[in-house]
Formats: sequence, structure tokens, C-alpha cells
Amino acid sequence: MTTLKSETTPPDILAFADALQLGASAAPKTEAERELHLVAFRLDQEEFAVPIAKIREIVRVGDITRIPQAPPHIRGVMNLRGRILPVVELRTRLDLPVLDVTSHSRVLVADAQGRTLGLLVDSVAEVVKVPEKAVVPPPDDILAANAEYIKGVARLGSRLLILLDLDQAVIQGNSNSNSTNAP
Amino acid sequence: MSAQENPFGDLIREYVAECLPLAEAVLERCLRLERFWDHGEPGDELLLPLKGELHTLKGNSAMMGLTALQGLAHGLEDLCGKLTLQPQLRASAGSLLVRGAGLLVDLIREAETAPATGSEADSYLAEARQFLESSETITERRTDDRRTTQRRTTRDVGEIGRDGAITTLRVDSARLDSLLEAFGEVMIAQAGMRETMRALAPWRRSVGEVANLELSSLALEKTLKRLEGALMQTRLVPIASVFGRFNRLVRDLAQDREKKVRLEVAGGETRLDKTVIDRLSEPLVHLVTNAVIHGIESAAERAQSGKPPEARITLAARQQSDRVLLTVEDDGRGLDPDRILMKARALGVAPTSESPSLEEIYALAFLPGLSTEDQVSSLSGRGVGLDVVARSIRALGGMVQVTSQPGRGTTFVLRLPLTVAVLPSLLVSVGQERYALPLSDVAETVRMAPDMIHEVAKRGMVLWRGAVIPVSDAGQVLGLGGQPRGRRYCVVLRSAARHRGLLVDRLLGHEEVVVKALDPVLGRPPGVSAATILGDGKVACILDTVRLADLHGAELSASRH
Repeated sequence: MTTLKSETTPPDILAFADALQLGASAAPKTEAERELHLVAFRLDQEEFAVPIAKIREIVRVGDITRIPQAPPHIRGVMNLRGRILPVVELRTRLDLPVLDVTSHSRVLVADAQGRTLGLLVDSVAEVVKVPEKAVVPPPDDILAANAEYIKGVARLGSRLLILLDLDQAVIQGNSNSNSTNAP
Repeated sequence: MSAQENPFGDLIREYVAECLPLAEAVLERCLRLERFWDHGEPGDELLLPLKGELHTLKGNSAMMGLTALQGLAHGLEDLCGKLTLQPQLRASAGSLLVRGAGLLVDLIREAETAPATGSEADSYLAEARQFLESSETITERRTDDRRTTQRRTTRDVGEIGRDGAITTLRVDSARLDSLLEAFGEVMIAQAGMRETMRALAPWRRSVGEVANLELSSLALEKTLKRLEGALMQTRLVPIASVFGRFNRLVRDLAQDREKKVRLEVAGGETRLDKTVIDRLSEPLVHLVTNAVIHGIESAAERAQSGKPPEARITLAARQQSDRVLLTVEDDGRGLDPDRILMKARALGVAPTSESPSLEEIYALAFLPGLSTEDQVSSLSGRGVGLDVVARSIRALGGMVQVTSQPGRGTTFVLRLPLTVAVLPSLLVSVGQERYALPLSDVAETVRMAPDMIHEVAKRGMVLWRGAVIPVSDAGQVLGLGGQPRGRRYCVVLRSAARHRGLLVDRLLGHEEVVVKALDPVLGRPPGVSAATILGDGKVACILDTVRLADLHGAELSASRH
């Protein structure tokens, strides 16, 4: 059946399992060396990250059905093993142009404010561990307009990961668009 | 819900599930008793079972350690006992009894979230004691021995009531919901299989296994149909559970407005899906409230028009094939068609025809903005319009209509499906997208030619069965683009007022689709009522056709200015 196409692919499963392993072994550590376990993904030129605990699974993009008159940051809905999953267009949230789905595109199935949602991203890089102290507040000049969705920035060697606040990115937009969407 | 919840939570939920309906029945009985006593009738046949029910409530509350509730039930049982023995007290005790039963219902309902502190119950009990003391009479001594026999009878009544429940299981409705959800997924998988079978059809002759597979698939389909029927049966709940609340509402509202209103209920045994029942209460409360406040005239006005001083509201339910018909009827002043039409004209939503029929005019009352203004009242901020009622009924796959005779009364008719899980629908395609239209909304489908669409007052019209009906282009309404004149089919949609057409590209056939609610994060898009998963695994929206047509009308009138 077609739903099988949207199942997690083996490399993703491995990455996910690794992440769980890391999460499990990371229990007692001192304040200074506490680490964040993040899923890093790419949107446009930037790398973003969200806590792994928020991500249920990572799936290939299935057929996404558009919902007429839905808020602009909603790409549509897709079938996740018989459940209807709303898919959030993170690009719209971050004022980036909307792109067609490619073979690298993925949907992160995430928990945000008690509901399960899909997040459409350009590609998923990997699961990373970042020392908590490596996270700094976002610089003023970075994406000033979207400051509310950004928790901070993590330095990882030469890479810069932007930490997204999922609850904000998903829910706040919802309340905004409700008011503009009213007939 | 969460892991840290204690087992007591389950117990108390069970307690509420069992006792709330019982307490509601007690309240209902008290309301009827009050009316009996107002008319000077003894009502003994109601008092006896009442004591039995209160006794059960007392016992259950004591078991849960809910002392305030136990005390209240005990006090009420006592009060009933005194009233049984001293009929002369009854005439003045009705309101006291009703208030006590009302408090009982409220406290039980809140038992899960906010256990009663006892202060409300205590002050009520003090009041009841005072009432009894002030009317203490010489009958006391004479009735002592009768009282003991009385006790015995009431206990019997209570036990008989419990015996009746042996063949009935109490099941958490969340379990039924998950069963239904799983069943929905099986149905979707099955639809996918059917699709594959269709693709395999050419090999049916040459490959024996294909034919066998087809037979098994057919057998499975048949069994699933039966399973569906059985599953739906388990979810049917008598509507009396909703009706039960209205006696008190009508009584309180009428008292507040200094009106005399009698509520008559019929067909409480009619059964509907639990989901429908749960979501029916709000629109019904709204209609009944409206009837008391706006529909029914003041006593003076009624006297002037020669009507009996006591007004009547009837709530009735009955099944008609696979639908349930609910009526809310009052004998009040009725709707004023001229006023509705005037308002509709002011809002720019009046029908285009010169002399609209009464039916068309009354249907306008369900448009947003037409009923709201009048409905805003002091009543607990329930100033919502009939459009909200219509929308919630439509969300259930139902329909609402109103008829009225000026001066004689108003009747609302709600047509509801027995079940909401599976929806017979017509699948259509518009551009690359597919949509499901509820089959009950579809009157006919018509093959189109480009020259069949006429433009009247900037609105597309089509001649259908000798009538001119407005058409909207699905592509335009759903924001997909495309040319109306290029569409090949027109789906003629039934609606309360008049038929309307929806232009689509292709008809894909009838299908029973499994209804899946949309997450609120999608922003409650107007025109879409739910979604479903089709045989090929893709999601399709189920359209709210009436709302869709309204939307289109609004767009046109906006562009005119």
C-alpha cells in the first residue's frame, strides 16, 4: 500500500535509534557538561535544530493534500499510517520561499503542545549532541523578524545551529491566522 | 490521561458515570413533582421511586467518601419521606425539592474536578430542616409505624433497579472510540485492497489466484459491513440523556422571564451515535433558550391574542430510515418573514428572485449576522446566532430547517445521521485534487457544456429542471484556479432554501468514506468539514457544501462594492 512509501527509511531508523541510545546514557552529569540532544535539519542555507525528545519519527514526504483556506504556514495534511497528520511549512514560518518537495525533503513528526504535527524540512542532517553551555541567545541581526520562534544558537565546531522553539513556531501562528482567517 | 494519576481517579470517574444519570433522573422527577403539586395532584407514584434513587445515591457517595454528597442525598431522602407522609406540605415544598436535586446534580458533576466542600450542601440542608420544623404537625405520632413499612418498600424498589443491569455492560466510551478508530483504519486498508483488485482485473481469467483473492476480498467486505453495523449499534445512546437537561433549563429561564412554559418531550428512546449526542446538546440548548426568550410572548401578549397563559415547547425525536428527525417546536409568536427579508437586504444577502418563497426567507435566518442581533440577551452571554446552530448541525452531517406560522409558533427540524463515522459520499476531482461531497447533499449531477452557464447579475447561473440555479466554480471557491466554463460536470446541491450548483472536473463515483476530524491547528477552514483517507492512501477533504456556497455568495457581493 502507498502508506508504506512514507515509512521511515532504514538510515533514519538507525539515526533515530542512535539518538535514543545517547539519550539513555546521558543521565547523571554535572551542570557544566550537561548536553542537549538535537535533531539538526536544513532549511534554505541555514541549519536548524530541535530537541530529539520532541521528535517521534522522521518520515519521507508522502502525498500532501492541500486544505483550502488553511493558515499560510500549513502545507497541508498527509496520511501517516491511517492518521491524518497536519504538515507545517517551516519555510513560511521563517519567511523563506516555499519550495517543491525533493527526494531529500523529510517530515519530522513532532510533539508540539500536546498534539502531533509534521514539520516539512529541506533535509535532515543528523542527530547531534551539544553542550548546554555552547548555546547562546540569538544575535540581534539574525532573523530579527522571527525572534519569537528562535530559542538560541548553538555552536558546533564551525557550524551554527539555530534552535527552534517548536511550540511557538506551530501554535502561535495558529492563533494569528485564526483571526485573519475568520470569514 | 497522565501517568501520575491515582487509581482513585478511575473510581471517581466511574462513580460520576454511574451517579450523574441517576441524579439527573432524580432532578427530572422532582421537576415533574413540582408541576404536579402546583396543580394540586399528589404525585405519589413519583415520590416512591425517588426515595429509592436517592437511597442509591447516598450509598454510592458514602462508598466514595463523599460526605457532603452523602449528607445531601440523605437529607433529600428524608425530605421525601416526610413529604410522603404529610401530603399537606407538598404544595409548598416543590421548589425546595427541585433546588436540592439541582444541587445534587451539580455536586456530582463536579465530584471529579472539585470535590464538594460541603458548605453549599450544609446551607441547603439547614434550609430544608427549617422548612420541616416550621411545618411540624401533630401527624408525627400517628405515622411512626407507617414509616417503617414505607422504608421497606423503597429499599425493594432500589434493588429491583439494580437487578435490571445484569445483561448490560458499562464500557468507557474512550474504548469504543479507539475501537471505531481502528475499524476506520481497517476500512481504509480495505479500500486500498479494492483499488489493487481493480488493477488486477485483467488477470482474473488467466491467473486463478486473482479470482480467489477477489472472492476473499468480497467476503471480507461483507463481514466488515456487518462489523460496522454491530459497532455502530454499540455506540447508539438514547437521546433522553440530552432531553433530560431541558426541564430545568426551561423552568429556570421561564421563571427568570416571568413566563409560564411547559416542556413536552417525546421520543426520548430514539437512539443516536454517542458523538452526535455529545455535540447535539449545545445547539439544542440554543434553540430551546431562543424559544423561551424570543419565541414565546409575555403573559400579557398571550392573553391579548387569546392563547392559553401556559406556553408549550415540544422537543421530539424519531427515526426515519437512516436519519433521526429532531423537532423543537414552540407555540409563540413565530418568525416575521418581512423583518428577515429586510435584514437580509440590508446585509446584501437577500435572494435574487423578486418574490422569494417563505421557505427561502426562513432559510435566510441561518445566515451569519441575520439572527445574532436579536439574540444578544443578558442570558449568560449566549448571544450566538442561528448560523452557529446550523454550522454545528452541518458539522455532524445533518441539516436544519425552520418553518413558522406568524402568531402560531415556530418549528425547527434537525435531520441527523445515525452515525458520524462513515459518510456515503460522491468523490469528485477538481484540477489535481479530489474531494468528497456528502451524498445526502447531492440532488443530481449534470454533464456540462461551456454554453450552459449564463451570467445573471455577475453570478453564474444554470438552467436545471426548468429553474435557474446559481452555480459556483469549485476551483475558484477552493482557491485552485481554472476556468468555470471548462468544467465538465455540475453537481446540484440540495440546501434548505434553494438548489445550487458546484462545477467540478470529474465524477469519481460513490464511496463510503471514513470521516476523520481535522486538527484545530488547521484553523477550521470554512467549507471543509473533515477529511478522509482514500483507497490509494491519499487524504481528501470532505466539503461542507452549504458553507461553500455561502462563501462564494459572500465573495461575489464583496467584489461588487
